[in-house]
Amino acid sequence: MNYWTLAWIACPFLLGFIVYLIPRVSRYFALLGAVLSAAYATQLFLAESPLSLRLLDHFGVSLLLDPLTAFFILTNALVTAAVTFYCWDSDKTPFFYAQLLILHGSVNSAFACADFMSLYVALEVIGISTFILMTYPRSDRSLWVGLRYLFVSNVAMLFYLVGAVLVYKAHHSFDLAGLRGAPPEAIALILLGLLVKGGVFVSGLWLPLTHAESDSPVSALMSGVVVKAAILPLARCALLLEEIDPIVRMFGVATAIFGVAYAVVEKDAKRMLAFHTVSQLGFILAAPEVGGFYALTHGLVKASLFLIVGQLPSRNLKELLHQPISFGLWGAVVAASFSISGFPLLAGFGAKVLTMKNLLPWQIIGMNLAALGTAISFAKFIFLPVQKSPGALSGGKSIGFWAAILLLLGGLVAANLVYYDAYTPQNVIKPLATIGLGWLAYWLIFRRLVVKLPRMFEQFDHLIGVMSLSLALLFWMVLP
Amino acid sequence: MLEAFVFATILFGFFGILFKKNLVMKIIAMDVMSTGVVTYYVVIAGRDGVFTPILAESSPAGAYADPVPQAVILTAIVIGLSIQALMLVGAMKLSRDNPTLECHEIEKNNT
Repeated sequence: MNYWTLAWIACPFLLGFIVYLIPRVSRYFALLGAVLSAAYATQLFLAESPLSLRLLDHFGVSLLLDPLTAFFILTNALVTAAVTFYCWDSDKTPFFYAQLLILHGSVNSAFACADFMSLYVALEVIGISTFILMTYPRSDRSLWVGLRYLFVSNVAMLFYLVGAVLVYKAHHSFDLAGLRGAPPEAIALILLGLLVKGGVFVSGLWLPLTHAESDSPVSALMSGVVVKAAILPLARCALLLEEIDPIVRMFGVATAIFGVAYAVVEKDAKRMLAFHTVSQLGFILAAPEVGGFYALTHGLVKASLFLIVGQLPSRNLKELLHQPISFGLWGAVVAASFSISGFPLLAGFGAKVLTMKNLLPWQIIGMNLAALGTAISFAKFIFLPVQKSPGALSGGKSIGFWAAILLLLGGLVAANLVYYDAYTPQNVIKPLATIGLGWLAYWLIFRRLVVKLPRMFEQFDHLIGVMSLSLALLFWMVLP
Repeated sequence: MLEAFVFATILFGFFGILFKKNLVMKIIAMDVMSTGVVTYYVVIAGRDGVFTPILAESSPAGAYADPVPQAVILTAIVIGLSIQALMLVGAMKLSRDNPTLECHEIEKNNT
């Protein structure tokens, strides 16, 4: 099994470099990479015990593959496959698919590794390949947004590196478990790096602009899987160390409310989805032990929504109210929105129930508020007008697009069967009530409400400045 | 003492990123910061001694430098280099339409 694991990690990179040599196979290889990851994740689910690998000695690379990881790997596989389908008929060059494969591979390795140094390398490779994918159109705007992303993530990773060496100083090893007994400044620095990279709470304010201004497939990848590369290590740290667990949970609740507060009043479809990603990361962190399932459902929904929004006539939700969309598109939007709001029969329901069940008492009010906010913000999509004319089912969209959407939404329906214990009357009524309340609030208040939240804090200098403030806050939190 | 200088370098780099207006200066400030981080690894590696860890009869016992931090920081240096290169290419491209490369101007035009 060990050799298979190593081969699986190396495979996407190998495929990616082969694409440069044989450009004609690019799309098929991208799909192959995704299929291999999906197969590997399935095997992980079926395996009896988690696989823990240690290459070389106590300072070498260590990998940990358990069911929690398997959820994240499966998300990565499905989203990559969907993006490949989506771009199948487009004029994307083989270069794009090569980068896609490299990104896929680096995200996989970030999920798999269990020591700080390999994690650093994986996260940096993710940063670089995301930057290249973002700047693929090579417009000034994409270049600036990409540079901003690379700057923020690299500065965060430099802080992280200092934290990593402090852990090494204490234990002579870079293992994640070494966080126990490490000095508080090491914990603060490492948490800062991961929080910024994962786009959590105020240090995640780089995320909305980055995700909203990229190409739809790239946004889908970033919101679907890339941010989660830093979320899984955070969850792992929380599971390993009971001192960090409350901090991560607190950040989870804070970011869930913070993101959804922006999403509720946002009128731009892509920005709303991006802010909502910030909030959903909070749901994953609020109950780290069951975060995997939530990450899977969120990844599928967010990827499909970003792909669909790329096909809508406008990004502005106000204008969309006057431009009816085809029935097929509307159906897909509604299915995805229902899942994320926690409507029964779709996987989002099970994930929400599972997360809510694993909350600590002090988290419950905050998370329910965030769930209500989710229902309000997605009511904007659900009540979009639909074209009346028959025959507009597919809306003239390509087969590749529908293949991508069917794969993602089909995944949602299939994943729903994983946790069928959730279907008790009590569990079913609560999300329905939340959604009802959310829709009511939408019709009564938020439909007409015009609030412009300041964008000042999304400026580059403020992003960097907030990083130092977060560091101070984290330091204060981890001090014994 | 050495550690204090290293942290000063990191901090100066960080404040450079924060306060310099020009994009290229910001990129250079980031390089200063990463130099500080790399140096910190080397300082940590040398805390028990500075001799190359090669066993020979003449070398004093026990005073070897720790090879692990030095080995892993090589990776970080390479990554830092490639990120610098990418950023400078981005700055070059941006300089065609924003010849002054003032961050505020670029930000105003592009967001």
